[in-house]
Amino acid sequence: MSVVQRKSKENEWYLSGIFAGLWITGKHLVKNLLNKKQMPTLNYPEEKYEYSPRFKGNHVLTVKKDGSLRCTACMLCATNCPAECITIVASEHEDPTVEKFPIHYQIDILRCVFCGFCEEACPVDAVRMGPEWQTPGINGAQFNYDINHLAYRPQLKGGIQTVLDDEERHKSGI
Amino acid sequence: MPKCTINGQEVVVKDGATIIEAIHHNNQKIAHYCWHPGLSVAGVCRLCMVEIEGNPRLQIACNTVVSEGMKINNTSEKVKDAAKWGLDFHLINHPLDCPICDQAGECGLQDQYMEFGKYDPEMAERKVKKKKVVDLGPTVVLDTERCILCSRCVRFTDEVSKTNELGIFNRGDRSEIGTFDGKELDNKYSLNTVDICPVGALTSKDFRFRQRVWYLKDAQSICTGCSTGCNVKVYFNKEGLFRVKPVFNEKVNGYWMCDEGRDIYKFVNKNARLLKGKKKKPTGFEEFFPGALAKDISSLVTADPGKVAFVVTGQFTNEEYDQVFSLWTKKWGSKNIFHWLNSPEKQNEFDGLLLRGDRNPNTQGLLKRLKDFGISTQWKDLITKINTHEIDTVVVAGPENPIWFPDFKEKLASLAKAKSLIWMQSSNHPEFENVPAGTYLIPLKSFVEKEGTFTNYSGLDQKFSKVTTIVSEALTLTEACTLLAGENLMIRPDPNVLIAAHPTADRVTLEHRKKNEFVFRRGAL
Ligand code: SF4
Ligand code: SF4
Ligand code: SF4
Ligand code: SF4
Ligand code: FES
Repeated sequence: MSVVQRKSKENEWYLSGIFAGLWITGKHLVKNLLNKKQMPTLNYPEEKYEYSPRFKGNHVLTVKKDGSLRCTACMLCATNCPAECITIVASEHEDPTVEKFPIHYQIDILRCVFCGFCEEACPVDAVRMGPEWQTPGINGAQFNYDINHLAYRPQLKGGIQTVLDDEERHKSGI
Repeated sequence: MPKCTINGQEVVVKDGATIIEAIHHNNQKIAHYCWHPGLSVAGVCRLCMVEIEGNPRLQIACNTVVSEGMKINNTSEKVKDAAKWGLDFHLINHPLDCPICDQAGECGLQDQYMEFGKYDPEMAERKVKKKKVVDLGPTVVLDTERCILCSRCVRFTDEVSKTNELGIFNRGDRSEIGTFDGKELDNKYSLNTVDICPVGALTSKDFRFRQRVWYLKDAQSICTGCSTGCNVKVYFNKEGLFRVKPVFNEKVNGYWMCDEGRDIYKFVNKNARLLKGKKKKPTGFEEFFPGALAKDISSLVTADPGKVAFVVTGQFTNEEYDQVFSLWTKKWGSKNIFHWLNSPEKQNEFDGLLLRGDRNPNTQGLLKRLKDFGISTQWKDLITKINTHEIDTVVVAGPENPIWFPDFKEKLASLAKAKSLIWMQSSNHPEFENVPAGTYLIPLKSFVEKEGTFTNYSGLDQKFSKVTTIVSEALTLTEACTLLAGENLMIRPDPNVLIAAHPTADRVTLEHRKKNEFVFRRGAL
C-alpha cells in the first residue's frame, strides 16, 4: 500500500479544518437533542431494526413432514461454500427410499461469509438462510452449529418444513 | 492391416479390429457404455454411433469391423443427434439420484449429458420405479433404477470371474439386474463390476458414502497385496486414502484387480500406522522423533555388527534392499540377514486369474538380491543363534500389511528373546503392547510415501513413484538403516503432508465449462 501525501495550503493550516469538523458535530448534537425522533441511531438492544424477511442470516436445515432432516448429505453445499465452513458426514439410512442422510452436519458460523451459495447449491431445499442474525455468545459459546441447532433450535418451533417432498414427486411420476 | 480414416485422420488398425478399438488406439473420444475393452461386445447401449461414408445409416462402432479404406466420422451433427436421443432414452426411467448417488462426479450419464444432453427433456411418461439398495453380496450394493442395462457386469461374471452370478431378469422397461435365487455376488473379483458399471447402479459397500469423488485426487501406484503387482490408482485427499482401483497393464493385470487388493489403503492410513519412534519401558512406551531415536540407538548396532541380525520381509523396494544389504555386507562384512517368509507353504498358489499365495509385492526382488549378495541363511539358525547369545541385537524390517503375516505374533515373541530388538515397520500392531521392555519401534514409510521398484512374480520390474505423505516423520528403510549405522542424514520433514506429489490436471476442459455455464437452469432437475 502506498500513501500519497499532497502538500497544499489547506493541510498546512489544519486548525481551521478541526473547527469546521467540531462545528458539524456540534450542530448535529444540538439538532438531535432538540428532536430525538429523527435520530438515525438505535438504542440497541432495546430497539431493533426490522430487516426484510429475505435477509440472509443464520442457516436453517429444513425438515420433512415427519420431522426428519430433508438433507440428503450430497455435499453440494459444502463443495460450493467459498469459506469451506460446512462439514458433513454421510451415512446409510435404513429406509431404502431415503438411502443417504447426514449423521453429522456442522457449519462453522464464524467462518461463514453469509454469501448464500450453500442455499443456492442445495438440490432439495434442505438448507436455507433464515432472517435470524443476532446470535451473540459469551465465553465458551458454541459457534459450530450442529444438526440440533440448525434444524431443531427452539426458535424454529419443531423445524421449518421443506417445499420438496419425495413422496409427492414419486406420485407425480418423476 | 486395413487402413481407415477417422475424422479425417489416417489410421492403420489390426486385422479384425472394430471401429471403437481404432478410435481408442487413436486417442479420440467416443461416447459408449456397453463396450469395455476387457469384455466381449454386446452392442446394446446404441451410444457409440458413427457415420461411415457411403452408408446412409449410422452404425455402432463397437460391433463394426474396420475394412480397408473406410471413412469414419463421429463428430458430425448426425452422430451427435443420435447420441443425444440415445441418451434421452437411457434417461426415461432413470431416477433423480445424483445427490445421493456415489457415482456422481465420475458417472457416464453425467459426462455424456454434459456433452450431448438435450437439456430440455420431452419425456412425459411416468418413471418406472424399481428396487433400490439391493444387497447383492458382501461387497456390492445394487440400485436397479439407476442401471442402464449395459450388461457389462453380467459379462464380467460370465467371462472374467467365470462365476455367473448376475443376470438380467424380466423384459422391456421392467428388466433389471439381479442374482439367481439364493445366490450372492460373492467372488474374489466382485468389486470390478463396480468399476466397470458406467453409472451408479453398482456401488462398493466399502466406499459407499465415505467421500464424494470430486474431493479425491488420484495417483498411480502398485498393489502390494500379492506378488502379481497389479497396477493401481489410489484415491486420496487430506483425510487419507479412500479407495484403490485397477489401471490397465497388459503385461500384469489387464483391466482388473482382486477385492483383497483394494483393502491395501487401510494399512496406509494414519489410524493404522506407527506414528512415533517408541521405546518400551517397564511402565509403558516413551515416544521419540523417529530419526532421532534411530540415531540414538545406533550404538546397539555399531558396537559389534557381528552380533546383529537383520530380518527382512518381501515388502520393500529393490533400491532399499540394495542399499541396506550393501551396508550390512560390505561395510560390516556381516551376512546375518534373514528372510522372513510368511506362509511358505502358500508361496506358489495361484487362483488362475490374478491373486497369488505369495502376499508380498517384492519377494522376487528380495530373493535375487539375497543371492547377489551371497546370503543363504536359514531361519532356524537365527533362532538358535539368539538362544545361544551369538546374536544379541535383532533389527527387523517388518511387514507393511501385518494381516498377511499369520505368524506375526509368534515371530515377534521368538525375536523378542534377543537382548535388544529394533522393530521397524510402517503399520501399528496390537501385539506391540506386549513386547518386553527395551524394545524399540521405528515407523517406516509405506509404499505410497516413497518411490522405488518392485519385482513381481514373473521377474518384471515395476517402478512406482511417490503418491503423497501420510506420516511425515516416518523413515524409509534406507534412511532408518543409515541412521542405525550411526551416520548423519539430512531428513527434511515433508511440508506437503497429504498433498499430491504429482497433481493431476483439472479434468474439466474449458470448453465444457463454457458450454454449460449458462445453459444450466436452476430447478429444472
Ligand atoms: S453462506 Fe456461504 S460461506 Fe456461509 S455456509 Fe453458506 S456457502 Fe458457506
Ligand atoms: S444441505 Fe442440501 S446441498 Fe447440503 S448436503 Fe444437504 S442436501 Fe446436499
Ligand atoms: S447414475 Fe449418474 S446420472 Fe444416475 S443418479 Fe447416479 S450420478 Fe446421477
Ligand atoms: S448394473 Fe451397471 S454394469 Fe450392470 S448392466 Fe447395469 S449399468 Fe451396466
Ligand atoms: S458401446 Fe457400442 S452399443 Fe454400447
